[in-house]
Amino acid sequence: MTTSPIGRRGFLKGALGVGALAATGSLAAACAAPGGTGAQPSKLTTPAASGSAAKGEITIWNRSGDLFKVFDAAIAKFREAHPNVKVNHQAVDIDAKLANTLISGTDVPDGSFWDDAKIGGQADHLFDLTDLIAPYKDQTSAYKLSVNTVDGKIYGVPWDLDPGLLWYREDILDSAGIDPASLATYDDLLAASRTIKEKDPKTRPIHLEKTPFLSQLWLEMLANQQGTGLTDAQGKLRLDSAEYRRIFTWIQTAVEDGLVTHAPYLEQADINTLDNGQQVFVPWAIWWSFAPQQLLKNTKGKWRAAPLPAWTPGGARSGAMGGSSFIIPAKARNPELAWLLYEFLCFKEPGYTAVYGPNDVYPGGLSTSIPSYTPAADPAKPLFKPIDALGGQDLWKVAVEAGASIPAAAPIPAWWAQSVDYLGNNLQRLMEGKMSPDQVISESAEKIQKNLIDRS
Amino acid sequence: MRLRSIRLTPYLFIAPFFAVFGAFGLYPLIYALQLSFMHWRGGSQARWVGFDNYLFLLTNSDFWASLGNSAVMWLLIVPIQLVAGLGGAVLLADAKLRLRGLFRVAFIAPFVTPIVAMAQVWIVVFDQDYGLVNYLLNLVGLPDVGWLTSTAWSKPTLALLFLWKTTGFAIIILLAGLQAVPGGVYEAASLDGASRWRQFWSITVPLVRRSMAFLVVIQTLAVFQMFAEPHVVTEGGPYGSTTTAGLYLYEHITASDLGTGAANSFLLVLLVFGLSLVSVRMLRPKDGVS
Repeated sequence: MTTSPIGRRGFLKGALGVGALAATGSLAAACAAPGGTGAQPSKLTTPAASGSAAKGEITIWNRSGDLFKVFDAAIAKFREAHPNVKVNHQAVDIDAKLANTLISGTDVPDGSFWDDAKIGGQADHLFDLTDLIAPYKDQTSAYKLSVNTVDGKIYGVPWDLDPGLLWYREDILDSAGIDPASLATYDDLLAASRTIKEKDPKTRPIHLEKTPFLSQLWLEMLANQQGTGLTDAQGKLRLDSAEYRRIFTWIQTAVEDGLVTHAPYLEQADINTLDNGQQVFVPWAIWWSFAPQQLLKNTKGKWRAAPLPAWTPGGARSGAMGGSSFIIPAKARNPELAWLLYEFLCFKEPGYTAVYGPNDVYPGGLSTSIPSYTPAADPAKPLFKPIDALGGQDLWKVAVEAGASIPAAAPIPAWWAQSVDYLGNNLQRLMEGKMSPDQVISESAEKIQKNLIDRS
Repeated sequence: MRLRSIRLTPYLFIAPFFAVFGAFGLYPLIYALQLSFMHWRGGSQARWVGFDNYLFLLTNSDFWASLGNSAVMWLLIVPIQLVAGLGGAVLLADAKLRLRGLFRVAFIAPFVTPIVAMAQVWIVVFDQDYGLVNYLLNLVGLPDVGWLTSTAWSKPTLALLFLWKTTGFAIIILLAGLQAVPGGVYEAASLDGASRWRQFWSITVPLVRRSMAFLVVIQTLAVFQMFAEPHVVTEGGPYGSTTTAGLYLYEHITASDLGTGAANSFLLVLLVFGLSLVSVRMLRPKDGVS
């Protein structure tokens, strides 16, 4: 039997045919069109049964690591209250797997931990939790509610709040005669940094972040302090504003005056300059508390936390930097049971105490964030203990008071992570003295608008 | 009836392959092609947009920058690898070489080492502040170099990782080509008084051109699909200088911009197909040499 290979001309004809089909849309008939039905996402209502009457099995996804162990212990507490609910608690690479799983609709968990920044972009695949959150809404951080809200509907159960704080070297401020309480504005912070540098020229007191992603997250914390963010509730870009220009100008001044250490978050270069006295101020989220507890050697016990300075006299003393919530996929098999679990962890005292209080993983309690539910964040009722690595400071009180001042925000746009290629990179150029504030704003805004917003 | 069953039997035997190929090869390909003409972020209903995704990419500076980054990587990798691979293959083909087994293991070891592990080693070795390379430079009085943090050095540093990882593979391919050359050709050349160098240029190089062409095609594909190295070592930075075509495509997918991602992948297919054709034509053995 002889075979006749397809000739070049025949192949080209076929290829042109396919191209023509594609161009006219006829290929749409070749296979099912991607996408959902376009129907409105389901609204989850109050479960009919709770406590021992609740029965069934749920699969819950969390990130691996210490936090997984913390939640594992808290889930055991949940099962004491709901003995007939079996919880398959799984450690999963959520960043790599969850979005694809939601899109494919295959092996979807009943609930998952997720970054606040990711929730808005996948709202179509999630249960609308507005009615379930309603009883707790007035007592939940306005910031956390706003980032979980898309078109007026709440899609995430707000979990942690990550207030920005000013971390500082108490001993160096003492020797320079600077009262930490006097650092009321960012101009005060610059003045204090100049004083410290005059006393010890080798210092470069203020930490500026060297990785584009984290520096943009940090920028958003400073913007959130001023009640703004990258976009408004309608998704309109707000980069070209007095608030952002104020931040960029402050960074430019700090850089030009030689007051900054430009280092990547807790990498070796950063740790060394934190430990050798070069860095004195780290304006960063509460989760920086990890550094003195786990990474720093020479300066362990010498760092303290204070509220962030304000941008204008009397302005907010904190902004949020990062944060996570819990979502319930629209294709979950037992969404009501997942809600019972998340309600327990976030809004019920035994639940949030199990998460934040002393446990086998963190004997002093979980001190890298605070609850976003205000009854759980009572300055007089600390869930985690004072921290030895901070000289015994009561970080709880500082953090919850700072957290209470965080302004509301807008939902985080789905394209936020992609905008780092423009804004995060240009922010780095500003920190390196290669761009002016106006250039950062105009160039970033143009690219974000053209490549992200116009195509979203 | 019997005649019909005889005719059907061969098709029954090959049916499993076609079923698997159709389900996991052809269907996803057609689906992706369809997707490339749609706007879909994985949420609500997809929207037909015709060539909009393609036009967006073709008029987007980031897309061209990613291709430019890959092209520079190609220039830093493929010519050097051809030379180094051929040199290594000639060395290993020499029957008089001592410790030949050891050399073979040394050349192939990087190829079988997981790339993510090696990428982590690269991060440590080339760290600007605490890396081994800068430590050695400092010892001889030279300043630190931002191997992974400067736009000037980031691509060569990643290219070096790729070369280190895959040159063993190039040596294997070219060694196979060399071993197919009849020994008598070299003997005849020696009798005619050709030097070793002359033999290399007039016999070895022409007779391994097919292997070289194959290698260029394979490595062109690999360089333009390069993902793990920039993803782990530099995350595409600094300032996008190591965002290769493969990494740029990945960024669309992770951002759930699936239509643009699909269009990007088909543009890459066309580009690599074209480059491979050019490479094969350039390295095609001349008439009379087979």
